[in-house]
Amino acid sequence: MKKGLILLALVILITGSLLGCQPEAPLEQTSNPPSSPSKLDSINTAGKIMVGTSADYPPYESVDESGKYIGFDIELMAAIAEGMGVKLEWVDMPFDSLIAAVQENKIDLSISCFNYSEERDQQVDFSEAYYTSKDAFLVAKGFSGTIAKPEDVVTLKVGVQSGTVQDDWLTSNLIDTGLLKEENLSRYERVDQAALDLQAGRVDVLMLDEVPAKNLVSQYEGFNIVLSAELSTGPLNIVLPDGDVALKAEIDKQIKALQDSGKIEELAQKYFSE
Amino acid sequence: MDVANFIKYILQGTVYTLGVTAVALPSGLILGTLFALLAVYGGKTLKQVMSLYSTVMRGIPPIVLLLILYFVMSGEINLSPFWAGSISLGIISSAYQMEIVRGAILSVSAGQMMAARAIGLTRMQAIINIILPQTLRNAIAPWSNEAAIIIKDSSLVYALGVPEILRRAQLIGASSGSYLPAYLTAALIYFALVFASSRLLGLLEKKLEIPANP
Amino acid sequence: MPQPILTIKKLTKIYGNNVIFRDIDLTVAEGDTIVIIGPSGTGKSTLLRCINLLTHPDGGEIWLDADEITAKGANEDLVRQHIGMVFQNFLLFNHLTALDNVKLGLTKVKHMNDKAAEAKAFEELKRVGLSDRAHHYPGQLSGGQQQRVAIARALAMDPRIMLFDEPTSALDPELIGEVLEVMRDLSKSGMTMLVVTHEMGFAREVADRIVFMEKGNIVEEGSPDDLFYRPKFERTREFLWKITELYGKKENADGPSAAEDTESNQPAAEENA
Repeated sequence: MKKGLILLALVILITGSLLGCQPEAPLEQTSNPPSSPSKLDSINTAGKIMVGTSADYPPYESVDESGKYIGFDIELMAAIAEGMGVKLEWVDMPFDSLIAAVQENKIDLSISCFNYSEERDQQVDFSEAYYTSKDAFLVAKGFSGTIAKPEDVVTLKVGVQSGTVQDDWLTSNLIDTGLLKEENLSRYERVDQAALDLQAGRVDVLMLDEVPAKNLVSQYEGFNIVLSAELSTGPLNIVLPDGDVALKAEIDKQIKALQDSGKIEELAQKYFSE
Repeated sequence: MDVANFIKYILQGTVYTLGVTAVALPSGLILGTLFALLAVYGGKTLKQVMSLYSTVMRGIPPIVLLLILYFVMSGEINLSPFWAGSISLGIISSAYQMEIVRGAILSVSAGQMMAARAIGLTRMQAIINIILPQTLRNAIAPWSNEAAIIIKDSSLVYALGVPEILRRAQLIGASSGSYLPAYLTAALIYFALVFASSRLLGLLEKKLEIPANP
Repeated sequence: MPQPILTIKKLTKIYGNNVIFRDIDLTVAEGDTIVIIGPSGTGKSTLLRCINLLTHPDGGEIWLDADEITAKGANEDLVRQHIGMVFQNFLLFNHLTALDNVKLGLTKVKHMNDKAAEAKAFEELKRVGLSDRAHHYPGQLSGGQQQRVAIARALAMDPRIMLFDEPTSALDPELIGEVLEVMRDLSKSGMTMLVVTHEMGFAREVADRIVFMEKGNIVEEGSPDDLFYRPKFERTREFLWKITELYGKKENADGPSAAEDTESNQPAAEENA
């Protein structure tokens, strides 16, 4: 009797939440995106923009020893906020929580080395690209195999950060096609976990964004990027609330301005050169 | 990176950790005691509802419950991650604390209630003046355990973005590349907090002890 | 003839398929000390618990003075203020001192102010000879002392009648005497008392009337002399003298009693009334 009650309660809870869930951002009172007020208005009224990031990903975003946020994405966003004439407030949280936070209106937008993906596009919107990066395949000291093309990893144990576009690429191109066995792919919540396992030999190769890969090369002796290619990555975009055209227009405008003025190139030099 | 700053950065998370605990623990206690009273003295339906609540809340991993409660609660009201996380942890803890208090109430012998009624105390008076004071004494030892659990579980709010000890360890570990020292530092701080709280509660237990001949 | 303090008419109690007692009639006049005796399991304790409504009878009436306390809508808490009860296991409030144990009813139920309550509580403790232990906790008192505090606690409420449910059965033999002495003095001072006990010496010396119950029935009742020397039933004679042999004048009995009392193991189901 008791077990039945529990099951019933759970079924009700799950059904209720599924019915109550809407893929569109539930911020406004009505759910017609085009006619609802844009976040831009509230940002301008408040004079403040709340930006989410996962500051555990140098050199894109991290903290210095005094706890200040530093990195490519950080400085870029600061420049954007300055261009908009508003103050910038950072909200840090684990990478996996960022999309939900934008959807749930906890933050106005997010910059965190996001790549565009169709799946994510159903839940949020993206700005125009602010930078283009590549994927890297990273190995540790003593690696004796050959990785001349991406498909060469199917004979190896592969590591990737979960929820990233590299994860998506590996899943759709190698796992779903049966080329790479599920048990040979290890997904990690964070890059540092993946790096430790790579060093320990629990995985043979990591697939990740080239820029943090270079960072790891400088941190771990013997780490080496054997291949870089534009597979899953390419453009980096800022994540925006779904359907908020006015905000997107403003952000895109700011990005273009920074590209034109050479600011972005300047930041890239600062953070990405060897 | 400077070692002192490294440690200091992580240590600053202690304020948040203690803050989360300071909200979650008492709210869990108040709710838990209320639910326990309903479970012991309530009517049949109430007893069943409480039993269901307890079973469900204790049957799901706290992190899952935390994320559900955070997104459900924050859908309605605009709470910061700190408050949403702390209150959610308090709600989760209330299920465990309910069981602790319930056990403590039942361990106060039935005769106490009988003797209380025999001098004309109403049921409510008996519960407040006779049962609860003895219950709370019985509950301190298991409660000290729950306090330690909450201090440790407070780390779960890292998923909501609260800059407490664990999240800070992750961040500084990433930026410095020294992950192991970061996590070890975090571990030491948690250990110190749990140790201190257990000691303090042990002292409280001794202080409240009812004198008896050996 | 003045109104008796307690009148019990055709009282019946049934647990499931067991008839504990049926159609019990009993009257207690003011100042009487009635002692109920009988083998274990005959419903003596249950009877007492029905009187102060800790347990509810299934049939019959109980009258306290001119009020029927078993009537529908009777205020049980109020009724219990006028009936004092002393339990076999003392049941003192463990977290309170002796003084606070006695004081509690005065402040919470009778709403006396603290000073007055404390003074009265002290008086009652003095009456049972324990004023020097006022600030001790139950855990620091012997069984006999605890029981005397329990008596003081009940007396503090100025009850119309005092019920004693095997008050000395849980005590070490050496401690029984001090409790019986308090009860003796109480009886002499004119308190109306209804006592369930195996202490035959007490029954013989102190009781105005003895009631012999067996298998849920009152077999016989009468003065101590009547029952001991002129019993109407053979069973009465048999029981009384057997018990006297074990408990009687030998109040410091040698060995553990053979008449094991399982009466105190009444079903706990209705204790949280």
